Amino acid sequence: MLALLVAATASAHEIGTTNVTATFNRDHTYTVDVASRSPLVRGQSAKNLLDAAEIRFGGVRVTPELQRLPDGTIRFHGDIPKNAGPFTWRWTLTFSYYALTIGPRQQWLDADSTSTPFPLSADLLPPSRMDVVRQYLILGFTHIVPGGLDHILFVLGIFLLSTKLRPVLMQVTAFTIAHSITLGLTIYGLVSVSPRIVEPMIALSIAYVAIENLTTSQLKPWRIAIVFAFGLLHGMGFAGVLKELGLPRSEFLTALVTFNVGVECGQLAVIGTAFVLVACWARTRPWYRPRFVLPASAAIAATGIFWTVQRLL
Amino acid sequence: MKRIAAVIVAVAAHATLAHAHDFWIEPSTFRPAVGQLVSTTLRVGQEFVGDPIPRSAELIDTFTVREGAKEKDVVGFENRDPAGYVRVEQPGLSIIGYRSKPYPLELDAAKFEEFLKNEGLERISVIRAQRHETAKPDRERFYRFAKSVLNANGNGSGARFDQPFGYRFEIIPETNPCAATPLRVRLLFEGKPLAGALVTALHRDDATARLRVRSDKDGRVTLNLPKNGVWLIKSVQLVPAPAGTNADWESLWASLTFER
Repeated sequence: MLALLVAATASAHEIGTTNVTATFNRDHTYTVDVASRSPLVRGQSAKNLLDAAEIRFGGVRVTPELQRLPDGTIRFHGDIPKNAGPFTWRWTLTFSYYALTIGPRQQWLDADSTSTPFPLSADLLPPSRMDVVRQYLILGFTHIVPGGLDHILFVLGIFLLSTKLRPVLMQVTAFTIAHSITLGLTIYGLVSVSPRIVEPMIALSIAYVAIENLTTSQLKPWRIAIVFAFGLLHGMGFAGVLKELGLPRSEFLTALVTFNVGVECGQLAVIGTAFVLVACWARTRPWYRPRFVLPASAAIAATGIFWTVQRLL
Repeated sequence: MKRIAAVIVAVAAHATLAHAHDFWIEPSTFRPAVGQLVSTTLRVGQEFVGDPIPRSAELIDTFTVREGAKEKDVVGFENRDPAGYVRVEQPGLSIIGYRSKPYPLELDAAKFEEFLKNEGLERISVIRAQRHETAKPDRERFYRFAKSVLNANGNGSGARFDQPFGYRFEIIPETNPCAATPLRVRLLFEGKPLAGALVTALHRDDATARLRVRSDKDGRVTLNLPKNGVWLIKSVQLVPAPAGTNADWESLWASLTFER
């Protein structure tokens, strides 16, 4: 194999011991590993190593972070820049001929020569801010509709309490503020509660609001506080989902905020639809509460209790 | 380490590094005990700082060691560094010799001209200028002729250091490189003394201890090495490549390493 490669090479120095592997990762980072037995590399300062590694995207040099692996490999890594052009590599701490491996491709470089440009596929490039906004709005929305029946039932539970707009708005606001707080805190790692606790509690919260709907149509002061507390739980649930989806490093906050906004839009869509379909013409009818709110709340409560038990098992 | 630092600075300044590089043999010790196994690293580099080159059948024409009147192959594992192993069997000097097959190299015109200047090959620059070829990239085939002197038990006697290996271009010590002051060497090109060739001597641990001397009409160079330690003596020649080789020049790299 080596012989073939040598024979195929137009011109070069002798093959040395340097081996370079470049990897482009799904999280829009790059890694360049340099394994070398050259005395130029041994005991070299971080600054000299960083000076020696010319990593460029579209001709623009990036400043990687340096890591020394236990086996002596020198690792350069960092974020792929937005709208990154083709990758090129140059390494000045060798006198000999060496292989640069990028995925299945290999090119041979003589001493301090620059590699031929390697274009990155579009899915490896970090998304633009607008891409992130669009993507996470949709993810947030679809996590509620159609993805999150538990959240839909909770929101419907809030909605069914009263035929008046104000109590609904106050509950929704309390819920929104609360889940935004814990979503942020959990994503940043400041709060951590096991899903084994959060998920049954979310189910229990659904049961609670529905059961309270059976007993009253008034907005009691504690109801706001309880909805707020439940909002904190739902936020942790959202965070669990968002962690599984992953957040782009380059647009972390954008993704977090737009996911939350997407969730909010989902909830408002549920309430808006319910309002238009049911409450708009039915809420003034005498049968609205006995024939609709009470059976619906009972069904929601039963579902909530069922889920609570199911999630505890 | 100072030498490596100097090389790094030169690399950073894009100075003298970007051309063809020296080749030499660096044994794990120049003063082995009798019976000791010496690993023999081939190095490519500049300023006596070089990358280890794994053993390659593609590169090696001959790789032998001489002890007394005996000459035997230097053994090793393909694609492994160090490229060879030598077990010293007798006290006194033994000489490792490496001759490569030709290997192609291309250099852009500016780098080539810089190389010619650094290696004392200005006459080639003149020829290129006369042919209006100064801006023409270099297409060459290079050959390596490296030798290294081992001194077993520190006993400088019993050597055949002055006997040529018969390489196309070779540095032959005429006095014992491990002991004699001054050190006299002779350059032979295709068996004949080569006059006017630049010979450079470099000390491994002291970048300032450097000599550059041209060979006299008999191909001889006298080197007053200013201190003890490990030395590299080297010289490069350039000759027109034969027709049909797809190259304009052949470069011949001779080196000799030893400790005194």
